[in-house]
Amino acid sequence: MNNRTWARLAAVTAALALTLGACSSSDGDSATGGSTSGDTATDSAAGGDTAAGGDTAADGDTSQGDGATSGYDLNNPPGSETPVELIYWDWAPGIENIVDQWNAKNNGITVTLVTMDGGDPAIAKLLTAIKAGSGAPDIMHSEYQMIPTLVVGDALIDMTEYLDPSVKGQFTDAVWNSVTLGTDAVYAVPGDFGPLAFFYRADKFEEWGLTVPTTWDEYAEVARQVREKDPNAYLGTFSSNDAGWFTGMTQQAGASWWGIKDDSWTVDVNSDATKKVAEYWGGLVEEGAILNTPMYTPEWVAALADGTQVGWLSASWAPSVLISNAPDTQGLWKAAPLPQWDAANPATGTWGGSGTAITAQSEHPAEAAQFISWLNASEEGVKAMAELGQYPAADDLRTKVMTEPPAFMAAQTDYVDLLNQIAGTVNPFTYGPNVNVAYSAYNDEFGKACEQKSQDAFVAAVDTMQSLTLEDLISSGFAVAE
Amino acid sequence: MKTSSQAHGRRDGQRNGRRDRIGWPSTIILLLGAFYCLMPVAWVLMAATKSTAELFGTFTFSPSGNLFTNIANLTDMRDGLFWRWMGNSALYAAVGGGLSTLISAMAGYALAKFNFRGKKLAFNILLVGVLVPGVVLAIPQYLLLAKVGLTNTYWSVLLPSIISPYSVYLARVYAGAAVPTDVIEAGRTDGAHTWRIFRSIAMPMMLPGLITIFLFQFVAIWNNYMLPFIMLGNDQLYPLTVGLSSLVNQGSQYPAMYALVITGALLSIIPLIALFLSLQRYWRVDLAAGAVKA
Amino acid sequence: MTAAQATPSASPPTATPAGTTRRPRKRKRQLWRDLPAWGFLTPVAVLFVLFMVAPIGYALFLSFRTYKTQGLGLGKGARKEVWNGLENYAKALSDPEFLASVGRVLIYGLVLVPTMILLATIFALLLDSRRARLKQFSRVSIFLPYAVPAVISSLMWGFLYLPAVSPFHWLAGRAGVSLPNMVSPNLITFAVANIALWGGVGFNMVVIYTSLKAIPSELYEAAVLDGCTEFQIAVRVKVPIVAPAIIMTLLFSLISTLQVFAEPMTLKPLTNTVPSTWTPLMKIYRDAFVRDDIFSAAASSIVVAFVTFLVSFGFLRLVQGRAFNEDQ
Repeated sequence: MNNRTWARLAAVTAALALTLGACSSSDGDSATGGSTSGDTATDSAAGGDTAAGGDTAADGDTSQGDGATSGYDLNNPPGSETPVELIYWDWAPGIENIVDQWNAKNNGITVTLVTMDGGDPAIAKLLTAIKAGSGAPDIMHSEYQMIPTLVVGDALIDMTEYLDPSVKGQFTDAVWNSVTLGTDAVYAVPGDFGPLAFFYRADKFEEWGLTVPTTWDEYAEVARQVREKDPNAYLGTFSSNDAGWFTGMTQQAGASWWGIKDDSWTVDVNSDATKKVAEYWGGLVEEGAILNTPMYTPEWVAALADGTQVGWLSASWAPSVLISNAPDTQGLWKAAPLPQWDAANPATGTWGGSGTAITAQSEHPAEAAQFISWLNASEEGVKAMAELGQYPAADDLRTKVMTEPPAFMAAQTDYVDLLNQIAGTVNPFTYGPNVNVAYSAYNDEFGKACEQKSQDAFVAAVDTMQSLTLEDLISSGFAVAE
Repeated sequence: MKTSSQAHGRRDGQRNGRRDRIGWPSTIILLLGAFYCLMPVAWVLMAATKSTAELFGTFTFSPSGNLFTNIANLTDMRDGLFWRWMGNSALYAAVGGGLSTLISAMAGYALAKFNFRGKKLAFNILLVGVLVPGVVLAIPQYLLLAKVGLTNTYWSVLLPSIISPYSVYLARVYAGAAVPTDVIEAGRTDGAHTWRIFRSIAMPMMLPGLITIFLFQFVAIWNNYMLPFIMLGNDQLYPLTVGLSSLVNQGSQYPAMYALVITGALLSIIPLIALFLSLQRYWRVDLAAGAVKA
Repeated sequence: MTAAQATPSASPPTATPAGTTRRPRKRKRQLWRDLPAWGFLTPVAVLFVLFMVAPIGYALFLSFRTYKTQGLGLGKGARKEVWNGLENYAKALSDPEFLASVGRVLIYGLVLVPTMILLATIFALLLDSRRARLKQFSRVSIFLPYAVPAVISSLMWGFLYLPAVSPFHWLAGRAGVSLPNMVSPNLITFAVANIALWGGVGFNMVVIYTSLKAIPSELYEAAVLDGCTEFQIAVRVKVPIVAPAIIMTLLFSLISTLQVFAEPMTLKPLTNTVPSTWTPLMKIYRDAFVRDDIFSAAASSIVVAFVTFLVSFGFLRLVQGRAFNEDQ
């Protein structure tokens, strides 16, 4: 009880302080921008917590950090005068090591990690906690495609005023766009991302005399050859469980399932690009050139380990999955760019990737922003993330800290350059507020289509997804443009 | 107790002086049933001895030597988190089951042995409660507990687990069958307090049945997935069911967890098997005794 | 559990020593006399109200509400909670996915419940027979799966089903025969039913067996003297006596059938054949936790609860209340 009362009091004080902070920080922005806004944010937070409020912390640490364009040191943020505890929900294995590294700084901001049981349950729990009015963390890890859903659910705050401008500079526009939804607000700081690439068993390719496909036509041809060489082997599978994978595939083909046009949402799931991709995969499944069973099942893991799955269209984080699934195949895999629709204009999509956001129930957004900036946009944080096997979104920092390929891919000396080059070809894509509806429609419709092994069913599934997604948006009252 | 063992003595073929011929068809059907039920457990036992590579590369019914490596890996996982889940499960099931048994015994006793206004209504409402699907309750329970700030705590799993209309129903049956009315009346004429009569006369008589209720409730809480899954966000508070399934969920990014999950599944079954084996004697005798006494 | 009613001499229900409850002037005394009974009931009553009545009421409330969003829905407060009348119910009852899931569960129940109760009764009778051997071992073994949480048993069976990792398919492959794929669309219902059967048959067996044990042996010693075979005794004497226990197990199996959730939910990611709305509860879960539409979920929950009541009471009427109403 005592604690709760205290927390409420603190909340009120903090809220007051923040309103003041917000005003002055927007002033700062319009005037000179840069360091002013960053400092104001930290000052106001410190003031909010200790009625006495000194700003020594904010000014004390000004050692030069890499990537810092202002006085703000991303590696060593000012911290907090009074001890602040932040609750942080994440589910990435190993993330506790990074949190420990932060807490070792002893800068007054203690981050308490709560390990969730996966991305989707975490989102569900956050939305329920928001609805209930309590129980949400301060800091939330979220995959990019769920950010619109969280924003619409009033679960996240616009963290613009708490972020130092140097943070934005770490990211490419395409990545940054996925946390702003194309608006002026910033709902998260990008953490990792997953440009798609083609991973294949170089040893099998050599043994069977196959060439690495550079176009989708070639991919289909190689898939057929694999079936001829070994009737048990497949070049890949179409997974009705992984909507994110299919989305990435259509992103490469130029699709963007949602969009914002004149203050209205647009839904364009069944665009020509998406249909082209569905038709292509439906054809391969129908003729049996590739498998029709989901990824990440025990079967699939078995196939990776015993070498009957000789290719995987996956993302930059693939090596860390492969090493834990099929450790014996280390050194046998190589990466290549995704096969192309138009070889003259190489493109790719993304699968996975996530950012870190501040929830609407946080009483310490300024402190949370310090941690988030360090985690995703400082050299220390990015390095730690890379060591976990994730592929950091912060472009320059990643290039700086990731110079060696991951151990699993050590055989491929040009791996790092290749991935950087692929990362530069990501097509833009906008996610909408009901990704969950579209994705669960994907699971159900493509599940059926995969079972039927019919190309027509694949194409029809896309149309069903379109109508379900559109109807849901309209019935929820969103402004939807035709 | 005495009556029941006599009854058994009379009816049990093996202990009888005149031995019946072995009924092969009956025995074979029973053994088939036993095989069907044991086979997946045996599979888990075998699979838990394998490394990830072996798990997916070899015939799964042939054992390997990695059981202790797997257990060690599981123990290492996040500073022994798995054992914490085990402890949480035991806590939820033991405390929840114990309190549930106690209050169910009280209510069952009242429903069976008192005449009072609203008794029939109370009992019927309770029966309706038996029929309410748990999932209908879980979501609003979460929202209501969140309003008082209790979600994501031990309480959020313990409190809803304590109420079990089914246990009350069972307790009422046991109280009706095992506590003779004249014994209560005798206690009353002696001037004993209602509570004392319950505690020192009725409870001991109902004890065998109460152990059964406790077992039912213990198992129900131990095996419950939905409630803790919805209530808890912090994996330090998870029971085994939610913990293991969260491993599977994370497995969608890091499926090497399969070896850990299977080992965890094996370890999580062991305490309940031990409980069954050690209490099954009570289980049988008690139910029979309760009935015979009635 | 249902042991009591098996015995012909159930004790009379007049438990309290005080007189009958007829006269209004005795009302005060009556209240005073009722106090201990309510005292004993208080803990259960309080928790019952807090954790069953209140949530059901809240679910009812939610089932008439919905979110309305304005514009892009991005700004603060762009989404509001409003009354929605019976719209959520209309949506649930006209939703083909929901109706399909109800249909699926009915088929699943038709497969599972009779099989489970029949097997449980047979096992219980065999355990009670004189001539079967290894009864102790069999009873413990058949009961054992009850100790395995559905989440874990489904994962286990998932491994045993999936052709590429199943030891059965491995053996069959060695022997040159091919086994059907249990997780294919035609067999998935049986695959899920089998998991539930595996987990539930032992429990029901113990319930029926307990009732059998409570039968005084004099009751059928006469039959033995008349020269009835053990089979005849089982069918003509024992089964009718334990009928109330069998009815109870049927009822509870029916209820849990309508609520099937954990088994298909665990199998879902392993295959294409389990859509996210395979059972009504899976749809409720999807609405509430995947689509963030707690209102539709509440309405569907109420519908499911209502159907459960209908089925349960219909069933109890059918068997003329033999199970619950003993000594009322």
